[in-house]
Amino acid sequence: MKKIIAILFLFIFGLQVKAADVVELKLPKSDLVVVKLMFKNGSICDPVGKEGLTSLTASVIEGGGTSKMTSSQIKDLIYPWAASYYASVDKQVTVFTFEVHKDHLDKFYPVIIDLLISPRFADDDFSRIKSNQLNYVSEVIHSSSDEEYSKKYLENFLFRGTNMAHLVDGTAEGVNSITLSDVKSHYKNFFGTNNLTIGIAGNYTDAFLSKLKTDLGGLAKAEMPIPAPGIGKRPNGIQVEIVSKENALGSAIFAGFPMDLTRANDDFAALMIANSWLGEHRKSYSRLYQKIREQRSMNYGDYTYVEWYNNGGSNMLPRPGYPRLSNYFSIWLRPVQTAKGLKGQYSELKDIEVGHAHYAIRMALREMSNMIGNGMNKEDFELTKTFLRSYMKLYAQTPEQQLGYLLDSKFYGRKDWLKEADALLANLTVEQVNAAMKKYWQTNNMFIAIVTDKSEAVPLARSLRDNLVSPMSYSNTLKGVMTNEILTEDKEVEKFPMKVTSVVIIDDATTFKK
Amino acid sequence: MKKIISLLLLITINTMVVIGGPGDKILPYPITQTKMANGLNVVTVPYDSPGLAAFYIIMRVGSRDEVDAGRTGFAHFFEHMMFRGTEKYSKEAYSNALKAIGASANANTWLDRTVYHMTGNASMLDKMFELEADRFMNLKYSVQDFKTEAGAVKGEYTKNSASPYEQLDEKMNDVAFTAHTYKHTTMGFFNDVVDMPNQYDFSLQFFKNFYRPEYATILVVGDVNSEAVNKLAEKYFGMWQTGNYASKIPVEPAQTETRYAHVKVPNFPPVVSLNYKSPAFDDSKIDMPALDLLNTILFSEKSELYNQLVIEEQKIRNIGGGAYNTRDPYLSMISASLVDEKDMQYVKDVIVKAIEKSKTTLVDAATLEQAKMRMKYSFAMGMDSPTNIAEALAGYIWVTGDAESINRSYEQYEKVSPQDLMNAANKYYVSTGLTIGTISGADNCPIK
Repeated sequence: MKKIIAILFLFIFGLQVKAADVVELKLPKSDLVVVKLMFKNGSICDPVGKEGLTSLTASVIEGGGTSKMTSSQIKDLIYPWAASYYASVDKQVTVFTFEVHKDHLDKFYPVIIDLLISPRFADDDFSRIKSNQLNYVSEVIHSSSDEEYSKKYLENFLFRGTNMAHLVDGTAEGVNSITLSDVKSHYKNFFGTNNLTIGIAGNYTDAFLSKLKTDLGGLAKAEMPIPAPGIGKRPNGIQVEIVSKENALGSAIFAGFPMDLTRANDDFAALMIANSWLGEHRKSYSRLYQKIREQRSMNYGDYTYVEWYNNGGSNMLPRPGYPRLSNYFSIWLRPVQTAKGLKGQYSELKDIEVGHAHYAIRMALREMSNMIGNGMNKEDFELTKTFLRSYMKLYAQTPEQQLGYLLDSKFYGRKDWLKEADALLANLTVEQVNAAMKKYWQTNNMFIAIVTDKSEAVPLARSLRDNLVSPMSYSNTLKGVMTNEILTEDKEVEKFPMKVTSVVIIDDATTFKK
Repeated sequence: MKKIISLLLLITINTMVVIGGPGDKILPYPITQTKMANGLNVVTVPYDSPGLAAFYIIMRVGSRDEVDAGRTGFAHFFEHMMFRGTEKYSKEAYSNALKAIGASANANTWLDRTVYHMTGNASMLDKMFELEADRFMNLKYSVQDFKTEAGAVKGEYTKNSASPYEQLDEKMNDVAFTAHTYKHTTMGFFNDVVDMPNQYDFSLQFFKNFYRPEYATILVVGDVNSEAVNKLAEKYFGMWQTGNYASKIPVEPAQTETRYAHVKVPNFPPVVSLNYKSPAFDDSKIDMPALDLLNTILFSEKSELYNQLVIEEQKIRNIGGGAYNTRDPYLSMISASLVDEKDMQYVKDVIVKAIEKSKTTLVDAATLEQAKMRMKYSFAMGMDSPTNIAEALAGYIWVTGDAESINRSYEQYEKVSPQDLMNAANKYYVSTGLTIGTISGADNCPIK
């Protein structure tokens, strides 16, 4: 008898599905309702050989309609309301976002539920959406933005051999091999109530939320366990890969090393201050920006990051929806001039062999190295802290952004990261920041990805590999106005030691293939 | 997919369109607008955003004003120079002061305007006014700073140029216009960008000509009131001297035949874009609202064309269409990203066929009403932060100089009838006003 009870007990609990977590933000004065459904899956769940499957599954759910309505019928229905929905996929999460005016919430509701519970998964939608994704990984990423290319390539380099390495959108061979049946299985395996967090913000009722929770309970339990995210390789010295392509006007540079620290850890706030001083995204008062862009006119901007910053070419402020437990520190140097470009622009530079990339990398590493060695002074620390405490309040201005940040907080085991970070920042001391830098940062071991013109790749590789002196090459016009201080510093920078252990040139045609 | 859409959006961004219920103003928040004695326009829009305010300065100068040969891209370059300090605040001091405010501050330039903006702590408004007034009146930079900043602009051109869409945009404008300054993009031609370090004296004159109160509107949105804003404007900008310069913008002669612009990029999704000359923005006329609604009906994801080419035939990946609000006649741009290069002529023909149909067949009233309703809700849903409200208002301020234009424009949209759509199609979507832009692996434009 006891055995029977025990078996029954096990059976009942075995069948029980963990209910989805809920994050809510009531805004009774708002006219909007935003629903975000965050699944803890992401591209780390892509099976080997089917890279891009999570992204394609999310896109087919989003863009393929429901069992009751085709995607065109949904578009017809929601068109006059200007309601919208979209999916975004990163390494560790997939987020479906729905936004609607409160006037139309009830009519929009069945679309939200049915897209998730009973997606259409029709052949023709699948082939259309797959074709777009394949096109992105095989053509668009190669030819749209070299700086975005360099960022994505570094991830491939730094996480090579792990589930974090491939593009979220997949590889050309991976996407090509995906069938509709793969998408259906992946949906069952990785999109379940047990890895779902429901987020809701705006002007909704308790009854609405209750129904949403109940109806999303109709999702089955995800059948497969979510894998742990791969940890980046430890670089051995400075390891460089140069992607060589036709007709690149500049050299786009992205560099980094794995860092065992995320928002989940309180030390993160200390590094945010150090990072802001060294290279706050799109801010002219950061150190690298001043040295490379403002004083030397080399490019459009130079920044550093303590976590992934999505679409930094367009976003001025960081977007939510990209939480990651496997983290790395990075340096982003926007495209600098190639030798071919400089020769074409200035006759006095006709004899140079290498453009500005080697010099720019040296400058960035030297500044970072000095910063780690010397620490921040009290004045810079206080100013940067004041800045960040105010600036972070701008990250979540709209209901959609506020909800997104709350969901990310939950992912990291926090309640409200923006508020908690403010409290952490308020209590930090300069000593703690300087200690954190020494603990988590270094400049001797790093992966560097460079996307550049075919003409630049070989001479740049030689310059890096042989640790050649890399003098800064100014046009005469510019050289004439440079101060002695800058020119003297240039002499130091050009020979800054870099322990380069490998330099490999990669043909653009071969990247993101498999 | 999203990347493809966003790339398309880059070249087909629709104008901000606004519709409200009968008798209502589209902007649900009151606009207080005051013209100061020196010509400076000051606009305040209180909005419930505790502790937060968006502070914008909209200068009605852009690449449209670049009338001198060899000076393309200068308005944008000058925007960069505005961050290079004054006697009171050196560039380092300005930088540190901005940092202490903790605002998200930046600027951008386009055809008709340069916008400087900072969103941040509303209690720092006094400091924001002080800093901005100082640099708008007393900007002072060294020759060294000037020459150095030019390299950053070249860096900006360098990063942008990787995109085939940017390359097409540059070429297409160059072909579509022969005399008007819309011929060049805001970024300018590369040779002019490389020459920028040599234009220091011109920059001083540029500042004198354009950085004057009659070109400016100060717009503050958020946790503020108009009395306080007007007082600060008077205190910090009251002594700004009025100027007397006006650009003489060449008039574009009438186009007489279809023109072509092609960019050769192999291994990239082929693009067909149809760019028709469109009217200058005028909130007293029905033309632009009609064209805008027509574009929504013809090219949105709900349209017959989208359904045919994207969903059923799967010949294109996406399509978008929209006309920009500009001070002078510019372009209504329709752009499609294709699956296969061999379909370029077919896709162009199908788009033109849909346009031709709109010239002879009235859109039914229900379809038009739905399009109006969509615009109304789209607008309402976007008004959810001080920054977003300021951005929407800025778009009307730079074309007219008047914040209330946003509400007048809405009234025009309300009035648009099916006949107005047909009239707009017949007036603007004509082959003699068309420039066809293409991206493909072919050496020359592969379609007629």
